[in-house]
Amino acid sequence: MKTIILLFTMALTVVANANDGRYVEAMTKNIEAVYKAQSIEELQSAVNGFDRIANAEKTKWEPSYYSAFGYVMMATREKDNVKKDSYLDLATSSVEKAKAISENESEIIAMEAFIYLIRLSVDSPSRGQKYSILAMQTLEKSLQANPENPRALMLLAQLQFGTAKFFGSPTTQACGTVTKALEKYETYKTDNPVAPRWGKQTTVDLKQNCQ
Amino acid sequence: MRLRENFCRVIAKKKGMTRPILTLILLTLSVNLWAQTKIKGTVKDSKGENLPGVNLMIKDSYDGTSSLTDGTFSMISDEKGKQILIASFVGYKTFEQTVYLNGSEINLTISLREEINQLDAVVISAGSFTAGDEKRRTILKAIDIATTAGATADIAGALNTLPGTQKVGETGRLFVRGGTGNETRTFIDGMVVLSAYNPSAPNTPSRGRFPPFMFKGISFSTGGYSAEYGQALSSTLVLNSKDKAEINQTDIGLLSVGVDIAHTQVWEKASWTGKVQYTNLNPYMGLVKQRLDWKTAPISLEGSTVYRQKVGKSGMLKLFGNFNNSNFEMYTHAILDPTVRLPYKLANNYGYGNASYQTLLNEKWNMRSGLSYTYNKNDVTLGDSILNETEKGIHAKSVFEHSLSDQVEIRLGGEVIDRNYSASRYDTISKQFQSRSFNESISSFFGEVEAYASKHFVAKAGGRFEYNSLINQASVDPRFSMAYKPAKKGQVSLAYGSFRQTPENQYTRINTQLTPERAEHFILSYQVDSERRTFRVETYYKNYFSLVKYVNNNPYQLTNSGNGYAKGIEFFWRDSKSFKNVDYWISYSYLDTKRDYLNYPYAAVPTFASSHNFSFVYKHFITPIKTQVGFTYSYTSGRPYYNPNLPAEKFQSDRTPYYQDLSTNISYLPKTYLIIYASCTNLLGRDNIFGYQYSTLPNSSGEYVSQAIRQPAPRFILLAVFITISKNKSINQLPNL
Repeated sequence: MKTIILLFTMALTVVANANDGRYVEAMTKNIEAVYKAQSIEELQSAVNGFDRIANAEKTKWEPSYYSAFGYVMMATREKDNVKKDSYLDLATSSVEKAKAISENESEIIAMEAFIYLIRLSVDSPSRGQKYSILAMQTLEKSLQANPENPRALMLLAQLQFGTAKFFGSPTTQACGTVTKALEKYETYKTDNPVAPRWGKQTTVDLKQNCQ
Repeated sequence: MRLRENFCRVIAKKKGMTRPILTLILLTLSVNLWAQTKIKGTVKDSKGENLPGVNLMIKDSYDGTSSLTDGTFSMISDEKGKQILIASFVGYKTFEQTVYLNGSEINLTISLREEINQLDAVVISAGSFTAGDEKRRTILKAIDIATTAGATADIAGALNTLPGTQKVGETGRLFVRGGTGNETRTFIDGMVVLSAYNPSAPNTPSRGRFPPFMFKGISFSTGGYSAEYGQALSSTLVLNSKDKAEINQTDIGLLSVGVDIAHTQVWEKASWTGKVQYTNLNPYMGLVKQRLDWKTAPISLEGSTVYRQKVGKSGMLKLFGNFNNSNFEMYTHAILDPTVRLPYKLANNYGYGNASYQTLLNEKWNMRSGLSYTYNKNDVTLGDSILNETEKGIHAKSVFEHSLSDQVEIRLGGEVIDRNYSASRYDTISKQFQSRSFNESISSFFGEVEAYASKHFVAKAGGRFEYNSLINQASVDPRFSMAYKPAKKGQVSLAYGSFRQTPENQYTRINTQLTPERAEHFILSYQVDSERRTFRVETYYKNYFSLVKYVNNNPYQLTNSGNGYAKGIEFFWRDSKSFKNVDYWISYSYLDTKRDYLNYPYAAVPTFASSHNFSFVYKHFITPIKTQVGFTYSYTSGRPYYNPNLPAEKFQSDRTPYYQDLSTNISYLPKTYLIIYASCTNLLGRDNIFGYQYSTLPNSSGEYVSQAIRQPAPRFILLAVFITISKNKSINQLPNL
């Protein structure tokens, strides 16, 4: 009897870890897929995977976060502005789901800002003012939650480049942010095996504008 | 099930396990392998087309897949027993089916039903132009209105470049499809605005009281509008004010005609904006020669305040207040002997307050409620005759919207508009004040059902019940519209409606028992939208009846025996895609209208109607020099005017020369917080004539002498500098221009 109880308790603990193992495994597979995806179809399939995991794992923010990321990537690949907006609507609803689980996660807030930036790019003359403010405020909030978040810094640099380009003003400020973002990419440490890793290459590319 | 499998999988890796357990594990594992179920099949839409990218999953598990390009899918599940299979895809209703997983293959053909509220679903577009930042597929955006050359940031001025409008240059108002300027009513956040235009000298254009930057959405309907709107015979201009501001900022505007300063303060759930504006046309009129003989050109002081408060999760409370004091004094010259002049003086005091609250009551019900108050007082002095006019109005309204399903929506509401009007005139003969006044209260209920048969077909039917206390009369007006969109792009819309409006105050004050003037609209429209391009053609027929008419040509004896009609065809083309950084639109309207009303001896073309109206609006952003340049060209064919020298059978048979205008504006953005702006109307300096006025008495040779109604000056030039002070340097006032 004792053995059984022991075995059972052991089993339970192992099961808990095992489940996490399975979660990490499934997530890792999908994360690879979303990073590698070359087409809207491939992105949709990866997003579907995240949505399935999100449906089963109601306490994890990462599946919905990556679902949002996948939709933002779809929006950047789409040419039709109306469809672009509808992908961003889906990204927003995934971000909302992630926020409901982890309200103060810097990465989720940065994803929200990313959506605003893409919304801005759809129609900058009439959306510029509204979305540049929203993106700026959201990025500030993200950096408040975690000043080390390299993705928030990278997005901030993009916003600053965009503004400088539109008004033909110097890019000193944007370049400062890029340098800082690159530093943070180097020093960024997390014990979360499925934490976001994207954005470094974009930052390196942005850096090219500063020489 | 899943727990057991995981348990086994991980345990198996552990070292030092006793043989019996391992056997047990292997046994379970094999059972598990055995228990895996393959589910395959095809996903199609209701038309039988294959759907790729559909997410298929077993509820609450990781098991699932996406359908392939040919709509097929295949997945393996480790789950067992009764489970729920879900198929979901954007734009389609989520499909759920119970499946029994017992190891034997399942083959399914899943048909997904389209959701209606999709972006490409048909919408009723007959008669309406919608401008908004957020709404996609809108024809014009709020910023387009602000940057249209020739409009000098006046909403009515910009909308005058759209089809369905007739240019009536001496009023500055919106005349729609053979209707008078009074037949267009303005609403802010659903609440009526009385006297929506600033006062102006006789035969000079007035400007709307509300600047475009206040609004996030502008919906201009040239007919066939919803049962929610009453007391508008021809057209509605529905303005939706902006939501909560997001940033603290101070805006300063230095203009050649005045100054304005605004400050916005933002809190977490609320924002407040206050604005003060001082306009003085005297220095400008002193520099640029005017046809009008001003003693004191218009001077006005205006203040407005805007407060926004988010309430709970979905509620939004909006408060808006505006006051305006304007004055001017000029001389009017007698036509027969221009050396005889009379001073004409106007003082206007205006106040408008509006409170509105919108919230989701629950998932299916949405509520909008509001209260507005207008106060307008005009004191006019001509020589020694005085006319004082005061109008006060309260409007209270509540609207409830309910979705019965994604295909059927109902809207119900009620409102009360209570108006009090009084006028007093100093009679120079009796040396006494004579006054007239009336109080009108209109209570209404309206209901509307909108039903989608599919995403290709929608119909809306509704009605409006009104009870008017002044004439003690109840009425019902039906409204109906539908739209059909056979393919991805083009769509056909139809609209019918019956409309009524109390006659203008100047008639109702003489005979308070006049019944409302009435109109019926029939509209047929075809519209094609594609990425940043819109084409539209619309034709209509409009029937007017119960119009105010003089009895025996006596303006103090009024009846409702007038009638009329208007019909026409209109074209619109907008393209912001073909040329880089260029946006342009072209509109043309043909109008055929006659009415027999007021002093008309028989049905004739009214003086405000023109057969042909054409506008071309062009905007170009030149990136290297950070400058936006805009041009607007407008053409209006000659309008009739009344010539008392002609016999009665030639009533209003004369036409003015055509009207033509080429206007420009330039915005230069040297710094992120600075805009330098210049605009000029009528670059070519054409001497436009809007009509002729005749002397009240004939001259010595028995002829009535005419005087042309012209523009007060050939051109109007505006120079301005706009400065924005905020923490975020990238914010400027461009969207306000």
